This record gives sequence, C-alpha cells and structure tokens, in this order.
Amino acid sequence: MADGTPPPGPDPVGPAPAVRPFLVTAGRVADAASGRSMPVETQVVTTAAGLDALGRLSFERYDIVAACRLPQSIAELAARLRLHLNVVRVLAEDLREAGQLTVHVPDAEATHDASVLRRLIDGLRAIPDSRGEPSDTD
Amino acid sequence: MTPTEPLTRGTAAAAVRPPLPVKMVIAGGFGVGKTTTVGSISEIEPLTTEASITEVAAGVDDLTHTPRKTTTTVAMDFGCITIDPTLKLYLFGTPGQERFGFMWDDIVEGAVGGLVIVDTRRLDDCYAAVDYFEHKEIPFAVAVNAFDGQVEHSLDEVRWALDVSDGVPVVVFDARERGSVRDALLVVLELALARTEN
Repeated sequence: MADGTPPPGPDPVGPAPAVRPFLVTAGRVADAASGRSMPVETQVVTTAAGLDALGRLSFERYDIVAACRLPQSIAELAARLRLHLNVVRVLAEDLREAGQLTVHVPDAEATHDASVLRRLIDGLRAIPDSRGEPSDTD
Repeated sequence: MTPTEPLTRGTAAAAVRPPLPVKMVIAGGFGVGKTTTVGSISEIEPLTTEASITEVAAGVDDLTHTPRKTTTTVAMDFGCITIDPTLKLYLFGTPGQERFGFMWDDIVEGAVGGLVIVDTRRLDDCYAAVDYFEHKEIPFAVAVNAFDGQVEHSLDEVRWALDVSDGVPVVVFDARERGSVRDALLVVLELALARTEN
C-alpha cells in the first residue's frame, strides 16, 4: 500500500517524531566534516548564562540546555532527546555561540596519551566480573 | 571549531568540567552480540541514536567511474563506563557493517581502538570491519563470541580465515559476561598503549 505504512519488522528507534528532524535547525545541516569537528563523544555542558536563559528557551533548545546541567556527550543527548545526531550538532553549536553551552571537543592527542590509556586500563581492571572478581593483574 | 573552556563563574552546575571522553568502537556483523557486549559492561542501559553513514555502492557509476555514495541513517547503540570524574570510556557499536563498502568515519574518528566481534558460523560478516580498522591503522582485536560456550573453529583457523596480521590479537569471549567483556576491552587498550610506546 502506498499510504505511508511503515515497512515490516521492528522499528529500531521507535516511532518517527511528528516534526521533521531538520525543521528544528531551520534546514541547516551539520557539514560533511562534522564527525571530525564534533565527534559523537564530544561533551556539552550548560553555562550559567544558559541556566539564566532557560525560561526563554523553547522546545529542543530548552531540552538541551536543561539536560546539559550534567555534562554529557552529544550521542547521549541525541539518544535521550530522540533527536538526530546532526540536529544536536547544529543546535549545540548555536547554543555555544549564544554562550549557553560549552562544547568540549576531545583532543585526539590527549585521548591517545599513554598516561590516559594506563588510567583506562587500571580503571577497567578494577571492574569486577559477575562473580565479583576484579581482573587478574597479569 | 576549537575546544572551549567552561565558564568558571556562576552556579556550581555551570562550573562542572566534563570528563575527558575516550571512545572505543565495537564492530561486527548483524546479530553478532555488539549490543550485548556494550550492555554487559556499560553503567547505563545501552542507548540508541541515529547516525549517518556514507555507503559506497558496490560497483562504480558507468559514466564517471566513481563509486556511488549514498548517506544512510542507521541506529547506533552505545554505552559508557566512568573511570573517574575526569575520564569516561564510551563504547560505540557500529551499525551497517554487514553491507559492502560502508564508511564509519563519522562514528570512528578519534577512537583509541576497536573490538571486532566474530561469530565463527558467519565469519564473512566481519571482513569489512577488519579491513576498515587495518586501513585506518586503529588498534583492534578480534573477539570470537562463544555462543553457548561453543566455538566452531580454532582461533588459528579464525586468524587464517580473516587473514589478520600477527599483531592483531584473536581472543574468545562471552558477550554476556561482564568480566569477559572487560578482559577483551583490556586486550585492545593494552595494544593501543603498546603502540604509544613504540
């Protein structure tokens, strides 16, 4: 039937939102290099100015600024607010320019640093398995 | 865009400095256990978001001899582990890998390493992931998911079939067991660390 019936099979992300994704960005899309300029793990945090402005924000902008009182990645934001990743990228950049969010793009040199990797290894080793045993310190 | 500094004035919430996010990629064919793997060790229930991947169609355009590219929106599952207040590990399950010629750059860029999950009954499903990590020179390990404790081929057979280089660890793990997932991730991190020391 050509009546817009969804294809069979489970829908991986639930029903489609009533508003088309890029309407909220006024049709703007993150550019092709967005994965490099704002990777999925990029952290966003609400600023004091963002909190002050919260009452004047609406819809997605309100949701983002409210959610980012706790730092989170743009991937978490997109999932929790059910927005397309690239919509979050565009809106986060807008809110950063307005001073309402800070956007912390991870520095690849910092994340690949040996001391960071050692801290990750030590931190993971301390995670107990389902029997409560930490990893062997081999 | 350049990294920005948080404001130091204002409320406590505004002064929060986010953790350094480090990303690992969990790859493999459809139904191989990527989401189970993430869910076994993530401190949050795995989340799903929509990501865009660029697919390069099999074959080339007859007129231009260039690959046809299409952008596809796919569901991506991920989770995270807080190491301490300043460091957080994110695990991203990559979608779309059962297809030919996909590109995951949007998701993978900047990852410290990858884990390619393999079902020995369907080895073909992971060739693309292996090729991708090798091409991108991202440290990765191959982790054979022992469904019901069974592995149909020896690790040497898997290594031979996948034609991975000697430097790529091939391990058996159980995606349902937190300790087993933890140890598989540690293999990748140790490999990434060894690379920094060379």
